[in-house]
Amino acid sequence: MKYTLKVDGQTFEVEIDDIDRRPVIARVDGQEFEVSPETGAAATPGAAPAAALPTRSNQSGKVLTAPLPGVVLEVFVKPGEKVEAGQVLLVIEAMKMKNSIRSVRDGTVAAVHVTAGQTVAHKQALLEFVE
Amino acid sequence: MDLTVILLELTKGLAAFTWQNAVMITAACVLIYLAVAKEYEPVLLLPIGFGCLLANIPLAGMTASEGMMGFLYEAGIKSELFPLLIFIGVGAMIDFSPLLSQPKMVLLGAAGQFGIFGTLMLAIWLGFPLNEAASIGVIGAIDGPTSIFVATKLAPELLAPIAVAAYSYMSLIPIIQPPLMRLLTSKQERLIRMEYTPRPISHTTLVAFPIVLTLAVGLLVPEATPLISMLMLGNLLKVSGVVDRLSKAAQNEIINIATLFLGLTIGATMGASSFLQPKTLIILLLGLFAFGLDTVAGLLFGKLMSFLSGGKINPLIGAAGISAFPMAGRLAAKMAAEEDYDNFILMHAMGSNTAGQLGSVIAGGVLLSVVGKILGIG
Repeated sequence: MKYTLKVDGQTFEVEIDDIDRRPVIARVDGQEFEVSPETGAAATPGAAPAAALPTRSNQSGKVLTAPLPGVVLEVFVKPGEKVEAGQVLLVIEAMKMKNSIRSVRDGTVAAVHVTAGQTVAHKQALLEFVE
Repeated sequence: MDLTVILLELTKGLAAFTWQNAVMITAACVLIYLAVAKEYEPVLLLPIGFGCLLANIPLAGMTASEGMMGFLYEAGIKSELFPLLIFIGVGAMIDFSPLLSQPKMVLLGAAGQFGIFGTLMLAIWLGFPLNEAASIGVIGAIDGPTSIFVATKLAPELLAPIAVAAYSYMSLIPIIQPPLMRLLTSKQERLIRMEYTPRPISHTTLVAFPIVLTLAVGLLVPEATPLISMLMLGNLLKVSGVVDRLSKAAQNEIINIATLFLGLTIGATMGASSFLQPKTLIILLLGLFAFGLDTVAGLLFGKLMSFLSGGKINPLIGAAGISAFPMAGRLAAKMAAEEDYDNFILMHAMGSNTAGQLGSVIAGGVLLSVVGKILGIG
């Protein structure tokens, strides 16, 4: 979903994938911001996830996010599919290298947010698990 | 005409064929085999292998100064045109944003050049004259064009073994580096995850970078200007975003044509008489040593940075601080992923790797300047 916002007379194109998800991931000019509307705090890019996930994983809880920016080459799973820890979920090409994104957990895929050929930003949501 | 004269004429190629030629043709076949069957840097090893094959066909005259290879050598290697054309393409393929967003990686690119100077000293100790020792040391960067550029200026007679060493070791990165990486880092260190928090790089910065770097390096180390400027020109074509056609030409046609002729010409310098000497073997060994030393220095510096940062830096990225872009960077990322498939250090490794690319070019320039000055050449 795209929104056009005016702040101090300047117009911004804001893209939001899912407004109901927390934090809301908003893209402005290709740059990603995480916003938690309930607290009203807008995070600087990257800083919030860094604080939230100090060293562990791009896969915390339900949402699998992109560990690095690149282009999705292949998506191997569909919503409803059961996956095991270690299974390759999708492949992201970054710096001309194919990176297999594997699941760190067993679970069922609830939704896939990306398709092959799509450019993804760092920390962009790739897919979600049921629980 | 006497029948024997005709017979001699018909078999003169065979008659002039020596066992040394046979050895070199076998070497050529090994290079071609590695390229075709194993896909080790095939883009380079295939033309080099074929050029070597041609150089060892007696009386063919291709490597004589009026032959095709002789002509290409004068036009493209001696003039340094081919390595520079290749660098336009390499520049157009390099993405400096991982480095620009993590500027401290520059340190790893500097550490990765230690092997060059270490090997230089060893080669001098072994009795090589300074110009040859410097050219051999540059193999450590595992950067073909820079090695060729430096060797052509300082020690053209050693060009063949130096270029062959640089390119074959490049293809052997996945074999040579991993044991050193495992030896020098603990599992704990290889498991270190690195937070990827790139600071956003503006288009202006990306465009200004190649221009500023060309001027800065050019003014500080004038001898490095040809290499760095062509690398930066290629990069400028890419990041400017306005000359897509030129950028694509640099990444494809220009670099491909230059690589084909460079490989072929380098291969053609592998004539039996000049290549089959004990010196060649020593150069190949010293080159391997330089490569190993660069890797070790990079890893140790990575460990130091890891320690100083309180364990926030995975020392594997230090091994990418040699040149060999992008193979070394990819390998570091692969090694980390082998320990933990959910650990992605590719962007950091690429930052270190691009820094290594810049570092080796600058180191090459410094060598040319210092050695040239001492010897009164150039």
